[in-house]
Amino acid sequence: MTKSGKIELMSPAGDFASLQAALDNGADSVYFGVEQLNMRARASINFTMDDLPEIAARCKEKNVRTYLTLNTIIYDHDLSLVKTLLNKSKEAGLSAVIAMDQAVIAYARQIGMEVHISTQVNVTNIETIKFYSLFADTMVMSRELSLNQVKKICRQIEKEEIKGPSGRLVEIEIFGHGALCMAVSGKCYLSLHSHNSSANRGACKQNCRRKYTVIDQESGFEIELDNEYMMSPKDLCTIDFLDQVIDTGVKVLKIEGRGRAPEYVATTTRCYREAIDAIAEGTYTREKVDCWMRRLSTVYNRGFWSGYYLGRKPGEWTDASGSKATQKKIYIGKGKHYFPKTNIAVFLIESFDISVGDKILIQGPTTGSQEMILEEMMVDKKEGAQKAERSDLITFKTGFKVRPSDKLYKIVPA
Amino acid sequence: MVTVTLQRDKCIGCNYCVEFAPEYFAMSKKDGKSVLLRSTERRGFHTMKTNAPGAFEACEKAAKACPVKIITVIET
Repeated sequence: MTKSGKIELMSPAGDFASLQAALDNGADSVYFGVEQLNMRARASINFTMDDLPEIAARCKEKNVRTYLTLNTIIYDHDLSLVKTLLNKSKEAGLSAVIAMDQAVIAYARQIGMEVHISTQVNVTNIETIKFYSLFADTMVMSRELSLNQVKKICRQIEKEEIKGPSGRLVEIEIFGHGALCMAVSGKCYLSLHSHNSSANRGACKQNCRRKYTVIDQESGFEIELDNEYMMSPKDLCTIDFLDQVIDTGVKVLKIEGRGRAPEYVATTTRCYREAIDAIAEGTYTREKVDCWMRRLSTVYNRGFWSGYYLGRKPGEWTDASGSKATQKKIYIGKGKHYFPKTNIAVFLIESFDISVGDKILIQGPTTGSQEMILEEMMVDKKEGAQKAERSDLITFKTGFKVRPSDKLYKIVPA
Repeated sequence: MVTVTLQRDKCIGCNYCVEFAPEYFAMSKKDGKSVLLRSTERRGFHTMKTNAPGAFEACEKAAKACPVKIITVIET
């Protein structure tokens, strides 16, 4: 929980651009993987150990807590890396580690690092919470619990005064938004069986997201299904009943999506930030919810449902192979120069075209994810231009610094 | 001659290659990733050549099992 007493909003960071997007849009904490021992093990969406000091520094500046995910199954040959990762995290001043394996939990405690119990542990009852309270201050509930069950657990923690190693009451965390797994919180072996690629080592191949047909082996007839994506749940969204979520006594709300783009992190973080603040101020209205829902559907999603929280019949399946986002981004060009005194940025257009009035997105490792409307621009130093094409140099005013590592995108309806 | 390559920076440390070809692969205790034994490294690719009997079959099994497909085996 945050110092203000509001629920803590935790955002995913798969790279520096997403991390910055989370920081700029009101996250109270961020979680991320370093090297391979986390649920997104593939190298492209992970930080390395050398990135730890910068992650810690950027977050400290904004007073944002930092959580290292180290929540895969651990083998003997991983133990040395586990220790190195935890030592380096402690050295960099990270706030806590999100763990599943007892080896990780034990070593983190040994070096005095705060432990959070991962949803991979599937905590579903108060006795398990008591057990893990010997080691951990925060526990992520299994995603399959209903809000009533979560509420009972939160009440019981207060009643029995179940405290973690810090001496504070154990805090309960739940997932608030993002992809859901068709198996019980990641305990799935489909990908391992089909591709030797273990979901529990962070290498899920997402078989569940594909189309399937069912064939009766005896007759050879194909069974008719309402939906061929029969194992692919829609994404979780709780913004339309966030008041009920907060009312359970949950202290941390996590947004899923370390594998998703910076604009997803920016939009989801911003919407949930506004919703949490609105609830605290007593201004949480239907109109606002509708507006947040519209904004959330502009970024990657498989359609939304309320997960298992409201006790509805499982499950709601998506009818699309990938995202149903109402917008998409098209790569336009890269940052060339920035004039800090006048806030003017120069971009080189490398593909497609761009016109005055377009909604644009500028993303980069330090810039994060910044959205704006292109109100006016100069093309090859000529003022009053309306349209620019490939190989043109365009110049326009931004309210923020632009760097050579930044990319310029145009946002269009999907 | 059998030539085996391993692009080890992409390894996720699943241990399959060691299970199938323990004479040619080992897990590094330092970073938890696979090591191609007796190999030389160039630009992230580790290469090992051998004439040992059974090497092709064992390494081929390791390559097929690798979930991130970073092992190649060529017989010439």
